[in-house]
Amino acid sequence: MLKVYFKELLELTRDKKTLIFTILLPTLIMPVIMLGFGALSAKIAKKAVEEQLSYAIIGEENYSELANLLKSNETITLKELSTETDAESAIKNEEIRFAVKIPEDTRQRIEQGLSVEIELFYNDSSTTSGIIYRRVEKILESLDEQLSNSRMSLLGLTTEQRAGLIEPLKIKKVTTANKRESLGEKIGGFLPYILILLGLTGAMYPAIDLGVGEKERGTLETLLLTPIPRFQIVFAKFLVIFTTSFLAVFFSLISFALMITIFGPMMFSAMSAGGNEAITSLLNTFASISLVDVLLMFLMLVPTAAIFASLLLSVSIYARTFKEAQNYMSPIMMISIFPLILALLPGVKLDWVWASVPLTNVALAIKEIFKGTIDYQMLLVIFGSTSLVAGALLYLCSWWFQREQVLFRN
Amino acid sequence: MIQVKHLNKRFRLDNKTIKENRKKPASQLDPREEGHWFNAVRDVSFSCDSGEVLGLLGPNGAGKTTSLRMLSTALQPTSGEIIINGQDVVADPLVMRKRIGFLSGTTSLYHRLTVRENVQYFGRLHGMTEEKLESEIKKVFELLDIHSFADKKADSLSTGMKQRANIARTVIHRPEVIVLDEPTTGLDVISAKTILDFIESYKQSGIPVIFSTHHLHEVEKLCDRVVLIDQGTTKFDGKIEAFKQLSSTNNLYDVFVDLVSQKEVA
Repeated sequence: MLKVYFKELLELTRDKKTLIFTILLPTLIMPVIMLGFGALSAKIAKKAVEEQLSYAIIGEENYSELANLLKSNETITLKELSTETDAESAIKNEEIRFAVKIPEDTRQRIEQGLSVEIELFYNDSSTTSGIIYRRVEKILESLDEQLSNSRMSLLGLTTEQRAGLIEPLKIKKVTTANKRESLGEKIGGFLPYILILLGLTGAMYPAIDLGVGEKERGTLETLLLTPIPRFQIVFAKFLVIFTTSFLAVFFSLISFALMITIFGPMMFSAMSAGGNEAITSLLNTFASISLVDVLLMFLMLVPTAAIFASLLLSVSIYARTFKEAQNYMSPIMMISIFPLILALLPGVKLDWVWASVPLTNVALAIKEIFKGTIDYQMLLVIFGSTSLVAGALLYLCSWWFQREQVLFRN
Repeated sequence: MIQVKHLNKRFRLDNKTIKENRKKPASQLDPREEGHWFNAVRDVSFSCDSGEVLGLLGPNGAGKTTSLRMLSTALQPTSGEIIINGQDVVADPLVMRKRIGFLSGTTSLYHRLTVRENVQYFGRLHGMTEEKLESEIKKVFELLDIHSFADKKADSLSTGMKQRANIARTVIHRPEVIVLDEPTTGLDVISAKTILDFIESYKQSGIPVIFSTHHLHEVEKLCDRVVLIDQGTTKFDGKIEAFKQLSSTNNLYDVFVDLVSQKEVA
């Protein structure tokens, strides 16, 4: 059996497609997804914050203090427009990014101590439009504070009393969850989703190649005529697919670990020149995941990879052609994604009911390991039940492989 | 010696064919179809002595490949016996596989492995020791003139080279019988000649060879006896001269056409 295993493995390593899909892609996918998107969104946000924005003021004469405050800011450039319609049209044509409309009765209302509604015109369908709003709000902050302070002084209130007047009841969030638990709840569900899908895709191509691929190339029949029992042939093929599936997950986890510990901090500190606190905190939380936790995640993925290997090999052996096998892969992918999505739904927590749902239980268990809140008794049960499912599927695969109707379906 | 006695093999028909058959009158049904079953091979018997080349003839779908697949242990007979040198093939297929060398037009080499790796792999699977394997590889590669491309990957070889490598793979474990199922189909004249020369050489070594083909001139050139299978049954089993005498023209082609045209009446 080992002779078949090592030969199949040797053949796969000589296949560029397998190397790309099994080793290269899973290794790169995690850093690309996490660092790539992180870096890209940070770059876009930075550009939006630092970008010189052109703007217009409508009704400048109604309250010149506000207009002067805007004009004194060097990060925005005034464009002379007289009407609201002109401003709206200029925003649409991207000649200006925003316009501030000062109502006619502004001065009168301010003098009476009333509130004034300043209108900010901008295109909020843009992904960075929120940043425009915050930038204008910040520019006007000083005037707002100045007006507020002068009114408070007239009333004879101290700064503390002023805060009490604005917000009499204030709720302070005190979480009992540590940072890791909190982060694990928010993003921990995506880790098993990515890992399990990588395990599935890592097994897919080798399964097709070793099953129907051999059928099509005419080597399966040759192999069946050797004095090796068929269950040994199927077990060797299963082991190869299992190995590639597991390696796909292994390499992605390794690259993920490298990203967290080495490349992540380097890249983000270089990007934000001095380090971004939120990202540093995020990376520190990741770094607090111990080696035992990572090993436990691997442990959960072992029977999962075995399930995929048995299932995909059975399907591949059944197919008449490579193309037919590929057609079967899409429904398998969809069926596999569904229990993983269940694990992402709010309110779905690892309990004895969910622990009995294949794949969902593994995803939830990995999430709990990530959070550092796993119940080890439940982990053992999930490992055991998933291994049983994998064993049953392997048995079925072996039985399937010995059926003449399947092997010689052509 | 190979003995095949009253061999039968049936497959379950797919549901679509079963439904279609229900609508057909009995006269239009294939005589091999019986309810939910298709009897691909029905009572096929023949034998092949040591040093004899037996030509297996028959039109497409006659049951030749199914018979040979049973002989090579790829398929299990529904009933009947296959005896090789006194031992029952069906009773112990794993042991008997070491004694059979099977080559067909559809069996192939692992294209990402070199010729040497392919042959070594099959030798090891047949339980050969490394020492025996290497000495056998040397002999077979010399016999088939493979040395010049022994370390090239199978997918980079010409059709003729592939066939030689395939032969080496078939005989590396020194089988007691050779079974060839349409090995020259789709080959050019030179590649086909490689196969025919190989059969000729084995004929002289006293090993029984069963050779299924559609090329009647190859049968005439190589075979001592012929078996004609049509619609899953043996239509003729005898010496090649006796086969020719079935037609007034003394021509293999005419006899073949005459025999397979006699359709069975359901």
